[in-house]
Amino acid sequence: MFFDGNIFWLFMGILTVVVGGGFNEFAKSRGWTLTWWKWALAVVWYIIFMMGFYAWGTLIGENEGSAGFRFFLMIAFISAILAVGLWRLLAIGSSKNVNTQ
Amino acid sequence: MTETAVKSGPSRRDFLKIGGAAALVVQAGGLVAAGNVQGSSAETYTGWESFNPATQFFNRKPFEFEGPAHLPVADVRRPSHMTDYVFGRVATFQRAYEANPTWTPDDPVEDLGVPDPLVAFYKEYPERLEWDYRTFSETIPTRDEDYKVYGNYYKLADAYSSGFTAHAAYLPTAGSPPEESDFMEMQRNWPEPKPIGDPVPFKNEEKAAEFIKEVAHRYGATLVGITRAKIDYFYSEGWAGCPEDYDYSKLPEHWQYVIVIGVPMEWDTVLASPQASTSYEGYDRVSTAAVRLEGVIKNLGYPARASTPMTYYDMIVPPFAIEAGLGEVSRPGYCITPELGSNCRLAAVVTNLPMATDKPIKFGVEEFCNSCKICAEQCPSGAISMADSPDEQEWGTGPVLRGYKHWYINNGACYNFWRESMGPLGCRLCVAVCPYSRKDNWIHQLAREVDPRDPTGITRESLLFMQKNFFDYPEAVEYRRVGSGGHFASYRPEPAFLHAEDFLDIPITSPHAD
Ligand code: SF4
Ligand code: SF4
Repeated sequence: MFFDGNIFWLFMGILTVVVGGGFNEFAKSRGWTLTWWKWALAVVWYIIFMMGFYAWGTLIGENEGSAGFRFFLMIAFISAILAVGLWRLLAIGSSKNVNTQ
Repeated sequence: MTETAVKSGPSRRDFLKIGGAAALVVQAGGLVAAGNVQGSSAETYTGWESFNPATQFFNRKPFEFEGPAHLPVADVRRPSHMTDYVFGRVATFQRAYEANPTWTPDDPVEDLGVPDPLVAFYKEYPERLEWDYRTFSETIPTRDEDYKVYGNYYKLADAYSSGFTAHAAYLPTAGSPPEESDFMEMQRNWPEPKPIGDPVPFKNEEKAAEFIKEVAHRYGATLVGITRAKIDYFYSEGWAGCPEDYDYSKLPEHWQYVIVIGVPMEWDTVLASPQASTSYEGYDRVSTAAVRLEGVIKNLGYPARASTPMTYYDMIVPPFAIEAGLGEVSRPGYCITPELGSNCRLAAVVTNLPMATDKPIKFGVEEFCNSCKICAEQCPSGAISMADSPDEQEWGTGPVLRGYKHWYINNGACYNFWRESMGPLGCRLCVAVCPYSRKDNWIHQLAREVDPRDPTGITRESLLFMQKNFFDYPEAVEYRRVGSGGHFASYRPEPAFLHAEDFLDIPITSPHAD
């Protein structure tokens, strides 16, 4: 089955790189300087956020879709709160002029 | 440096940003799909993926302690087939009640005509008498009526279950006392029973245990553990093949070790409890594995005797399972294991083959059960204590049962509901709703590994919060019969292959219809 095969996880790895690249450009356009710890925090946040989707799917597979959705909503809520804090941390030391390209 | 140029189309940077956002969306969708595959994967059906030792995957070492897990706190009374064993007790009650149909609980229990030990038991546990009376005076007649209306709805569930019960006819029960039957080979079709040969020595006890565990898994056991025999958990009378005047006061000399094995009931079917699931599927598999184990031990020249749900029990098995490190005692009194949770059907083989024994484990069940109470809240008969700890149990003899302090249920109330529910005999709802009884996907793996290692209890309380708030539960009364405020609800819908209306050309009335 595709969704539990090696090709799928390779594809997920490639997507992660693309997401990382997009995030890097987004950070630059906002004038954020991405240090190693900012990257680390962003990665942790991303794992938590994505875990909500994976857990939702897993519980759908277990025939507990509504529990999965509620769990996802909780993770999304937690992620939103964490995102606010993360945003502020990422902005630490940002350059005043915001890139537009 | 500040860039000020404005381009008409998307720039390289915009392209990367949009690409990143699109990748995020695709990845999120991919993870939902991958999760779905993982959640429904046959590999998460512990005990059903294969017959191999990998099914016992939990590392028990960090949770082991020097036993015994149970210590008596008062005078020990061994269990009795006539009183504690619910099938034995209700059969005795039934015979007496049928001979005295005008007897009611307002009359002295001595007038009922049950043997003296049962009179004494009913005086100690008066609530059991009330429930046994209700079972035969009200519940069984009502169930017969309900079956006329709704029986066809459960036709396939009953038929499926009967395939397992039919197999019981092919599983041998000891026909003579342990000193004789345990020393006889089991092969059929021999003109004369043949004694077992001389014992084949193993290199050491560890090797013997290793071999026995390996073959137990290969015979179908998901879990296996070994402990020493202890008379406290053997019935005080009525061992298979023994006459009434047999000396039950001591164990036969060769009953030295108890090998305990466990298997799960199929994971989707058991969630359809209390109506359409069946215990007999787990009973059959575990009994078959135990009988095979008895066979291999005898073939190596050691006496052996299986105690199984499909043949006969000479002992109560959960205390041995706990001593053998398979799991911990739970609120409903059964053994919760790390791999199978409450969904664990047990059998045992007693022998004198010298084997290395296992240690009991503690992996947080006691604390979890004290907080959880889901089974007690869901139980349709109120048979499970709602107390905050075993010390505060409210019925019978309080926290102490037969000299030991631990959780136990009101098995009269439980059995009463067995005779009310539809489908194959039994209920199993407390197994189905237990948060430990979950398939082996990454979510439950995480919970299983983190909770026992968290001394703060935060994991436990968080898990319980999610379990109680995210998962849907019918109200307890909904499991009851139509007319008692219920509609014969199941915890989760029956698996598709048990939907009689999709397969059978017969009139079917659903109890769930408005
Ligand atoms: S089997 Fe059913 S009735 Fe019996 S204790 Fe469990 S939930 Fe209650
Ligand atoms: S449902 Fe809760 S209280 Fe009941 S056995 Fe399971 S963990 Fe313990």
